[in-house]
Amino acid sequence: MLRNEWLKLRTIRSPWLLLAVTQVLIVVGASGLLARWDTVDADAATRAVAHVGLLSLAPLLLGIMAVAGEYRHQTITATFLSVPRRGRVVGAKLAVYGAAGLGFGVLGTATALAATGVWLGIKGGSVDLGYADLWRTVAGDVVWNVLFALIGVALGALVRNLVAAIGVALAWLALVEGLLGEVLGERLSRWLPFQAGSALGHLPNVHNGLPQWGAGLVLAGYAAVFAAVGLALTTRRDVT
Amino acid sequence: MTDIAVLGLSKQFGAVRAVDDLTFEVPPGQVTGFLGPNGAGKTTTLRMILGLARPTSGRALIGGQPYHELRAPRREVGVVLETTGFHPGRTGRDHLRIAAQIAGLPAGRVDEVLARVDLTAAAGRRVRGYSLGMRQRLGLAAALLGEPRVLILDEPGNGLDPAGMAWLRGTLRDFAAGGGAVLISSHLLAEVAQTVDRVVILAGGRVRYAGDLDGLGAGDAALETAFLRLTGAPAS
Repeated sequence: MLRNEWLKLRTIRSPWLLLAVTQVLIVVGASGLLARWDTVDADAATRAVAHVGLLSLAPLLLGIMAVAGEYRHQTITATFLSVPRRGRVVGAKLAVYGAAGLGFGVLGTATALAATGVWLGIKGGSVDLGYADLWRTVAGDVVWNVLFALIGVALGALVRNLVAAIGVALAWLALVEGLLGEVLGERLSRWLPFQAGSALGHLPNVHNGLPQWGAGLVLAGYAAVFAAVGLALTTRRDVT
Repeated sequence: MTDIAVLGLSKQFGAVRAVDDLTFEVPPGQVTGFLGPNGAGKTTTLRMILGLARPTSGRALIGGQPYHELRAPRREVGVVLETTGFHPGRTGRDHLRIAAQIAGLPAGRVDEVLARVDLTAAAGRRVRGYSLGMRQRLGLAAALLGEPRVLILDEPGNGLDPAGMAWLRGTLRDFAAGGGAVLISSHLLAEVAQTVDRVVILAGGRVRYAGDLDGLGAGDAALETAFLRLTGAPAS
């Protein structure tokens, strides 16, 4: 079942394109920061590498495509005919796409470190791989990628319409969470998913955010709830 | 010998009773036509038989078991539905590989069914480049992959040219002759009359006739005449 979901994933082009675009954006993000940074230090390097967390948008979209994509291309019928126990299908997608999120996170980190190394080298420094904060950031960003992948799969299962699911995700991230945050105030808005993700990924623009481990738990909580609801609805609903 | 048994099957969508207390049988060794006007509830019934939709009441059994309890569904039941789609960016061969893998079938089966539906040459191309007829044949290939004992087809003739139709007719008759059960839903009455042994006619969610084709009368137009009469079509 897991091998099957992986086979489905690797026989289309969009995941690979998304991966490629993500790497480019990470390099752009890191470069943009480091090109203008005067002090060449570990903190700068950490901030540059933290872009990997922002690009967790990619596994989110990929996750959405996992289920909603099957509905869009009408392959969901074949999938549920082959595996009538639908819970197994959702479980396998969560596992495989979660692993894809891990892949995105790890590869993104490697790319970010490489780009950062190049920039620091140009400015006469080098990446301090012994800097603890760097690895805390990396760990947080990778986990953020994984959790967003899981949330994506669940969102796709809930909404089923590919365009609507992507629209909801983007609208939430670009607009709705921000607006909701203003209504809720600083203390409560720290618990919203993107803010939690940012705190988890140790992004430099997070002030008074949740502690990293707490943010991780909150985001994992979101993923669990979404996944449970997605699973329940998928098993019960008719396939049109 | 595997058959399909529908027992008191009903489906309610809010206030609308789309399928009302259906009971009929699709025996092995015969081709059974599933006929009815648009909106009669045929597709809904097929979906319930396949576990894609949940009945409001009643049961549908394949070889005595509901679909979701079949241990290897693709090896018992081959399905071609109108809503079966393919990811346009994936090749035909990859689609079949995915279906074969999940059913635990050897990789060689993919090439066998591709040859059977005459898609070997096009198998390496992405599905977005396929004609309607080619997609239909790919769907048939997927249905035959597991060497099932039951075939359920919803408008399989869509997009097939006359040679393709003749091939399909032959394939279904051979399948039934070999002991398989076939349920085929179609609007093409003339084609159906040449292919089937039995018919189940549905209208308004209810069974209007379930029995041998011969029981509807003799002559070329017998099926059409009986169909229009049973489904309450206005007289021309």
